[in-house]
Amino acid sequence: MTLTVGLTHFLLLGALLFVCGAVCMASKRNAIGILMGVELVLNAATINFVAFARYNPIFQVEGQIFALFVIVLAAAEAAIALAIVLNFYNNHLSVDVDTAEELKG
Amino acid sequence: MMDLLELFGEHPGWYFVAATLVPLLSFVLILSASALWCAVRPFRDTPAGAALFNFFGGEERGRTPAYVATGAIALAFVLSLVGFLRFTIQQSEFETQIQQVQRDLYELRVKAKAAQGQDKEKWEEEIEAKENELENKEKMWESARSYAWQGHFDWLRIRPGSLRDPDRGTVLQLGYKIDSLSALMFVMVTFVASLIHLFSIGYMSEELQPEVEDHQVHTRYGLLVRRGRFGRFFMFLSLFCFSMLNLVLADNLFQVFLSWELVGICSYLLIGFYFERQSASNAANKAFITNRIGDAGFILGLLILWTNLGTFHFDELFQRLRAPLRDSHGTLQLAGRFVRGDLDPARAADGSWSLKYSPDGAQVVLFPLPQDRPEHYHGVGPDRDDRVDVFEAPKKGQHGSMPYWLLVAAGLGIFLGCVGKSAQFPLHVWLPDAMEGPTPVSALIHAATMVAAGVYLVGRCYPLFTYEALLVIAYTGGITLFIAATIAVVMTDIKKVLAYSTVSQLGYMMLALGVGGWVAGLFHLLTHAFFKALLFLCSGSVIYGCHHEQDMLKMGGLYPKMKITALTMLIGVLAIAGIPLFTGWYSKDAILAQALGFVYVHPQHLLLFLLPLGTAGLTAFYMSRLWLMTFTGKPRDEHVYEHAHESPGTMTMPLVVLAVCSVGIAWGWPIYDAQASWLEQNVHHAQHHAVLADFGNIDYTVDQEHGEYWVVAKRAEENERLYAYYNHHLAGNLALGLVVIGMVFAGLIYWKGVLDPAEAQEQFPGLHAFLMDKWRFDWLYSVVVVRPALVVGSWLAWFDLHVIDGVLHGVAYLSVLLSKWDGLFDNSVIDGLVNLVGNAIYSAGARLRNVQTGFLRSYVLFLVLAAAGIFMVLAYFVRMAAAG
Repeated sequence: MTLTVGLTHFLLLGALLFVCGAVCMASKRNAIGILMGVELVLNAATINFVAFARYNPIFQVEGQIFALFVIVLAAAEAAIALAIVLNFYNNHLSVDVDTAEELKG
Repeated sequence: MMDLLELFGEHPGWYFVAATLVPLLSFVLILSASALWCAVRPFRDTPAGAALFNFFGGEERGRTPAYVATGAIALAFVLSLVGFLRFTIQQSEFETQIQQVQRDLYELRVKAKAAQGQDKEKWEEEIEAKENELENKEKMWESARSYAWQGHFDWLRIRPGSLRDPDRGTVLQLGYKIDSLSALMFVMVTFVASLIHLFSIGYMSEELQPEVEDHQVHTRYGLLVRRGRFGRFFMFLSLFCFSMLNLVLADNLFQVFLSWELVGICSYLLIGFYFERQSASNAANKAFITNRIGDAGFILGLLILWTNLGTFHFDELFQRLRAPLRDSHGTLQLAGRFVRGDLDPARAADGSWSLKYSPDGAQVVLFPLPQDRPEHYHGVGPDRDDRVDVFEAPKKGQHGSMPYWLLVAAGLGIFLGCVGKSAQFPLHVWLPDAMEGPTPVSALIHAATMVAAGVYLVGRCYPLFTYEALLVIAYTGGITLFIAATIAVVMTDIKKVLAYSTVSQLGYMMLALGVGGWVAGLFHLLTHAFFKALLFLCSGSVIYGCHHEQDMLKMGGLYPKMKITALTMLIGVLAIAGIPLFTGWYSKDAILAQALGFVYVHPQHLLLFLLPLGTAGLTAFYMSRLWLMTFTGKPRDEHVYEHAHESPGTMTMPLVVLAVCSVGIAWGWPIYDAQASWLEQNVHHAQHHAVLADFGNIDYTVDQEHGEYWVVAKRAEENERLYAYYNHHLAGNLALGLVVIGMVFAGLIYWKGVLDPAEAQEQFPGLHAFLMDKWRFDWLYSVVVVRPALVVGSWLAWFDLHVIDGVLHGVAYLSVLLSKWDGLFDNSVIDGLVNLVGNAIYSAGARLRNVQTGFLRSYVLFLVLAAAGIFMVLAYFVRMAAAG
């Protein structure tokens, strides 16, 4: 019995990666950690796009283009997010997101 | 300017229109000046305001209003006089021609009567030609008159059409119609009013002061002190003159009614001039309310005429009600009379009824207007067809009909209006009380304007009155003249005596109009205006000279103190008593002669002659008594006598002018001929042919013996006018005898002192008290009308207070109760519900805010959990879809 790597495996990998990212976002108090979680979630989505591009002929071009978009987006997002984190640090002298509670009602 | 000249040249009737409008202009001027004065007064401290304020007279307002009003009425007099002269000249030209034709016609008829056979036919042809000539001449005069002396314009036009005339629509018009009566009235009214204005400048001079003390009004702080009302007096006088002139000018009943009411309100304002006095304001109210009763009748009459005839125009009314003089075949037997008949029950296909002539039928035929009549017109009556087709809503040229009793009612209604205005029994009670006004007002009301309006209207509307209505008019006049004269005998207030004598003289006029003495009645109206104005102004002069003392019991021996007043008043007394060659003699004799003629034909109405005859003696008695008590004998009150003085020139001058008029205004040639008065002849021209038709034959001829003017009737055996004509001297001499007796009697009592009036009073205490109480009319009205009205009023007040107010209070209480319940419900249930919803949302929000922790990680957790949840739900549905 040979194990053929199919769409399901890629999707499972994506789901796993997504869960990892989500858990990372929910559990980390460090802003950088959360940012890393976000990157994981984005990459999970990229894997899905690429997998669909490989296995679904209708989706061949779109999947790859979307994947490229997501990578560019992730880069841009990281730049902005890091700038936010820098500012956050300047204001709170820490990157612990729980210290940000000024807007709490 | 040229247009204006052309207007007066082409339509000289505009002289009278202008004469009417000038007093109105004066009224408006004085009114607006005083309004501006009031408007400027608050700013009199600023320089500009002070200049304006002084322009309008300042605090001392001067005599300007008097000069404006007097100038206006004097100008009106000049205009009237010019108009009158032009009218008289034009009329006499035509009348001379017409009378010439009439005389020729008479001669032809005499010749035709005597002629035989073939000659007779020839004469008859000539008679017919003459008749046509007469008709043409009359038509020419008619058209000349309607072009120059008549005119009107639409004032209000209301669609749709009236009941009787669907084509024309409801049109109320203002217009003017001049005949010799209205021209004479114009001259008389403006002349007398001018003199009264002049007199008032002197008489009302007290009112010029900024502060006037009224000696008859006591307030808590002493005598009443008020601002002088000089301007207001003359403003009202001007309005009064305008109203009266407009009434005389009118060519339709509606315009008369307008002026009628204006005259009423002016009399109200002037009688109540000293309105702070309780008696004056009561008198003003009494005059106004009494006149309202009469006006109710007037309105009813107007409504009946409008509903049935669809017009208010005098000419149209008369032409539709009275039969035409001629048809295409010659003179009609019923010319100028009402044609009565009965309707057949069956109605023809075209909606008309056939009316059968009968002398006392239930319907009156309404004739088509002359301009609408067909070329060949066939009359109705015993000498023509005795049947005519009448329509319910007659079109042009068709006959109509109305119930006879409605016509009687319309005549009586209009007469009721005149009863109120001319102070006839039983509505005479207001006039003596109207003496509360200033004396010039009394003169104006009693001589020239208000009371004359009633008599004038009866004269104007004569063709509307049926025989029954005329009889009512005659008896009303007869009763009035007697009652008023008896009261005047015992009155001691100098103005009250004159007031009752006015009522009595108006009674004479009404009686004359009722018995066919149309000319005599209106002639007396004109002469009476002069001597009554004279008498009133004289009494005003006496009152002024005696420092507002009116009681004759405090006068006496005043002759040396005020000679001009005494002598002019003596002339007035002689004129009203009917001494030969004074104006009253001509007119009163004419009335008595006509009454005698009427009684000859209708012996059952003997009272209609006896009452005026006896009253002529009474009149002479009480007027002599008035003069003798005032001016002769010993002074009864030394204080009054010592302070008495003659009035200033502005007041005595009008007296002299009026005295001259009271002597000579009615003279004719020869002077001693009671039937040759020029004034009477002038009134004669205005006489409607209906008067001749009712009280003499319409087919009149010219009396050879007495010249061209005196028309007598042919049917000598049953004709009031003929008897009146031939018995003029009998009636006049009877009256003169009684007048002399009355005067001698008065002289014996009050001059020579042969009899003591106090003894006579003691001998007949009941009669004296009865007369002093004015026949107890005030008491009667108080018992019959006023007190029942008060009792009914108190019932209604009780009902109002207890029942209506009770119901209202109950309803109010209920609604308050209901509101309380409603408030409770509102507060608890509705507000509760709203609060509950609010609270629930608030608490839900309060709980939900806990979800907003502010921790980023918990948000991510929710996010992920929600995403997982959605994914699971979606997966479930996809699975179900795949399986299903």
